[in-house]
Amino acid sequence: MASLKVYIVRRVLLAIPMIFILLSIVFLIMRVAGDPVSAILGGHAPQEQIEQIKQQLGLNKPIIFQFFGYIGQLLRGNLGRSLIWGQRPVVNEIWDHFPATLELSISAFLISIIIGIFTGTVAATHRNRFLDHTFRLYGIITYGLFIPWIGIMLQLLFGVYLGLLPIGGRIGTLMEPKSITGLYVLDSLLTLNFDSLVSAIKHLILPSVTLGVYLSGIYTRLTRTHLMETLEKDFIKAARARGLSERAVIYKHGLKNAFIPILTMMGLQFALLLVGAVLTEITFSWPGMGTLLFERITYRDFTTVQGIIVFFALIVVTVNLLVDIIYAYIDPRIRY
Amino acid sequence: MKARRMGIFKVILVILPLVALYLTPATASASKTKPIVLGTTDKITVLDPAKTYDFYTWEVFHNIGEGLLKYKPGTTELMPGIAKSYKVSSDGFEYTFKLREGLKFTDGQPLNAAAVKWSIDRVMRLKLDPSWLVSAFVKRVEVVDNYTVKFVLKKPVSFFPSLVTTTPYIPVSSKSYPADKVAEPTVGHYGPYKIKKWVRDVELVLEANPDYYGPQPKSKLFVVKFYKNAATMRLALETGEIDVAWKSLRPIDIKSLKSKGKQKILEVPGPYIRYIICRCNKPPFDDVRLREAVAAAIDRDRICREAYKGTVKPLYSMVPMGMWSHIDAFKQEYGERNLELAKKLLTEAGYSKENPFEIELWYTPTHYGDLEADVAAIIKESLEETGLIKVTLKSAEWATYAAKYITAGTMPIFLLGWYPDYIDPDDYTTVFLHSKWSPDMGVFYSNPTMDNLLDKARTEIEIKNRTELYKKVQKLMAKEAPVIPLFQGILTAATQPNIEGVILDPVMLLRYYLIYRK
Repeated sequence: MASLKVYIVRRVLLAIPMIFILLSIVFLIMRVAGDPVSAILGGHAPQEQIEQIKQQLGLNKPIIFQFFGYIGQLLRGNLGRSLIWGQRPVVNEIWDHFPATLELSISAFLISIIIGIFTGTVAATHRNRFLDHTFRLYGIITYGLFIPWIGIMLQLLFGVYLGLLPIGGRIGTLMEPKSITGLYVLDSLLTLNFDSLVSAIKHLILPSVTLGVYLSGIYTRLTRTHLMETLEKDFIKAARARGLSERAVIYKHGLKNAFIPILTMMGLQFALLLVGAVLTEITFSWPGMGTLLFERITYRDFTTVQGIIVFFALIVVTVNLLVDIIYAYIDPRIRY
Repeated sequence: MKARRMGIFKVILVILPLVALYLTPATASASKTKPIVLGTTDKITVLDPAKTYDFYTWEVFHNIGEGLLKYKPGTTELMPGIAKSYKVSSDGFEYTFKLREGLKFTDGQPLNAAAVKWSIDRVMRLKLDPSWLVSAFVKRVEVVDNYTVKFVLKKPVSFFPSLVTTTPYIPVSSKSYPADKVAEPTVGHYGPYKIKKWVRDVELVLEANPDYYGPQPKSKLFVVKFYKNAATMRLALETGEIDVAWKSLRPIDIKSLKSKGKQKILEVPGPYIRYIICRCNKPPFDDVRLREAVAAAIDRDRICREAYKGTVKPLYSMVPMGMWSHIDAFKQEYGERNLELAKKLLTEAGYSKENPFEIELWYTPTHYGDLEADVAAIIKESLEETGLIKVTLKSAEWATYAAKYITAGTMPIFLLGWYPDYIDPDDYTTVFLHSKWSPDMGVFYSNPTMDNLLDKARTEIEIKNRTELYKKVQKLMAKEAPVIPLFQGILTAATQPNIEGVILDPVMLLRYYLIYRK
C-alpha cells in the first residue's frame, strides 16, 4: 500500500501545475473581452467615476500584476471578492450555489447509472434481439443529444401538455425547507417537512432525468460490452454448471465482474457531469454553479469565474483520485 | 433466492411511500391566501441603494422603499412620497421637504429628517456606482427640524424633483445599514411591502407592511421568482406557475402568446431608445448636409418590422414618446422617409453615382442583443438605396466600443442605445447635445444656441416653459441631426387573465402593491 501513498502524493502535486495552466488560460481569455465596469455601467456614468471604480477594483494595474496578485491570494486560500455588484466574497457565492448543483448532480448521476446498467444488462442478455438493438440505439442517440433540447422537450411534455411536473426552479413558492445541508430533499427529510419534500422531488425529476438520460448512454454501451465479455468467461460457465439460476449468474457473478470498467468511466464522466449540469441548470433555471458561471461570464466578473473554475478543477481532481483509490481496493491486482 | 426477494421488497418499501407522497396534493399551503407570483429574468444585483445601479433592483426598492416624491402610476407626473410637500427657494438652490410624521423603518428606527440626511450622506460618502446622481447635484443636506429636511444644490436644476425619486435617494435605516460599507439587510426599509424572505437568485417574498402610511398593498403576499432563461419563464406562465411574466419575454414568445390568446399581453412605450450618432467635429460629418441626408434616408419602419417583428416603434425624437415635451421632430423635418431629399443633399455636397459618399457605419454585436447585426444591415441597405452612398459595416466588442472608440472619436457614424437614469427630457438631450458633454458620447457637437436652450431648460422651474424649451431643442436637433433617433422599445408584461392592476409606464418600475387577483 506504500506505493499507493506515493501515487496519491504524485497525483496531488501534478494537479497544481494543471490548475495553474487552466487558470492562466481563463485569466487571459476573460481579460481579452473587456472589463466588468463597462459591462455594468454601460457608459452612463461620468468618466471620472468609471476610473474611480476601476481603481477600487484594482483593474487599473498592469495585467501581470493583477495575475500574480491573484495567484498570491489563491495560494493563501483566498478566492477573493466578486468584482461586481455587492463585491461579495467568491467563497460565499460558491457556497450559495453549490448545494443546488450537488443535489442535481447526485440524482442525475444515480439516474444515469440505474438506466445505464439496466439497459446495458438487458441488451447483453438479449444479444442481437430486438431489445438489444433498441438499447444499443438508445446508447448512441442519447450521447449525441443536446441537453437544452432534451430539457425543453421534457418541459413541454410533462410541464405544459400533461401538467404533471414543474418546468423550472428548485422548489415551489414559499416551500423552501429550513437550511441544514442546502440539499432540499435531504433538508426536508431531516426537518420532516413533507410538503417541501414532495415539491423538492417534483422539481428535481425533470432536470435530473434530462442530465441522467444524456449521461446514461455511455453506461449502456459499456455495461453491454463488458457484461457480454464476462458472460463468455469460464467461471460463468462453471456457475451455470453448478445449477445457479440465470438471475444469480448475471447479477451476482457477471455484473460484479464487469463493474470495474464502469467504475472507471464514472470517474471519467464526472467532468462531463459538471459540464452537463451547467447546461441543464440554465435550461431549468436551476440556481446552481452553472447558472452562476454563465451569468458571471457575461458580466466579466473575473474573480468569480476564476473561483468557480478552480473549484470545479479541484472537484474533478479529487473525484478522479478517489476513483483510482477505490479501484485499487476493488481489484487487488491493481498496484500503483 | 429468498435473499433476492427480500432485496426487491426493500426497494418497493422505499419507493412506495415516495410515490404516495408524490400523489398527495400539498393541500396545507393551498388553503392560505394565494400570493401573486411574478417571474422575471432579471435579478437583484445588490440590495443597497448606495450601490445598486440597475433597473430591476431599483424596482424592488420602489416596492420595499419609497422616496421623498414618487411617480403617479401610469404617468410621469410626480406626487408626494414620504415627504408630504416641498418648497423651492426663489433662486432654485434650496429644496425643503416636509416629511410625514411618525413613520418608522421595518427595523423599528424612526424615519425622520436625520434619517434622510444620514442616508443621502452615506450615498455620497461611499462614492459607488449610482452616487453621481446625488453628488453631481447636491452640495449638502441639512436637518431643519425633526420632520423638515433641506437639500442645498451645487447649482439650480429644475429636474431635481425627478432625481429624488431615484433609488440613491430612498432612505434606509442606520441600524441595519453600516455607515461605511455596502450591506444587504432584509430590514431597515420603509415602503408598501417589507421583505419576508429573500433567497438570492431563487425567490423574493414580500409581505404587506402594516406600518405603511398609504393604502395597504392589494395582495398581502407577493412573490418574485427569478428565471435564468426566458423560454422557461414563458412555459411557467403557460403552466400557471407564475401570474405575471415581466422583464423580459422574447419577441418570439410574445408573438406566440398573443396568437394563442390565453394570457393578457400589456404593452406600453418604454424609456429605452436607440439612435445613430454622427461625429460632428471631423469630416465627413462636420458637413451638416451629410447628416441630414442620413436622417432623411433611414428606413425606421423597416427596422421595426423586419428586425424586431413589430416589438419596437419608430422614433422621431431623442425625447421618447409618452414623455412630456415629446414631438416627432424628425418626422416634421424630413417626413417618415425622404429619399429624394437625401439625394438632393448628397448631390449638393458633391457626390454622384460615380463618386459615392463612402462611410464606415459601426455597431457592436455584444451589447444590444442578437438582432443588432440585422439592424445595421437594414440601415446600410436603406442608405444605399439613395444610390449615392456606399456603406461599409464595421463592428467592435462592446467594452472596446464603449470605453475606447466612442470618446476617442474613432467611429464617424455609429449605433448606440440609452436607458434613462432619471425620467426627464434633460437625461435624453443634454448629454448628447450640450458641448460640455457631447464629446463623452462621441457626438462632439457644439452649438451655442443649443447650449443656451439646454442650460435654460435645466434651471427653469415652470414646467410649461420647460416644455417649450425642449420643443425648441428637439426642432434644432432635427435640423442639425447630430444624433438620429431610430426606434423606441416597448415594455411588455404578460399576465394570467384574472390578474389586474399591472400598470406599465415609461418610468419602467412595476408597482407590485397595485397588482391583485380578481
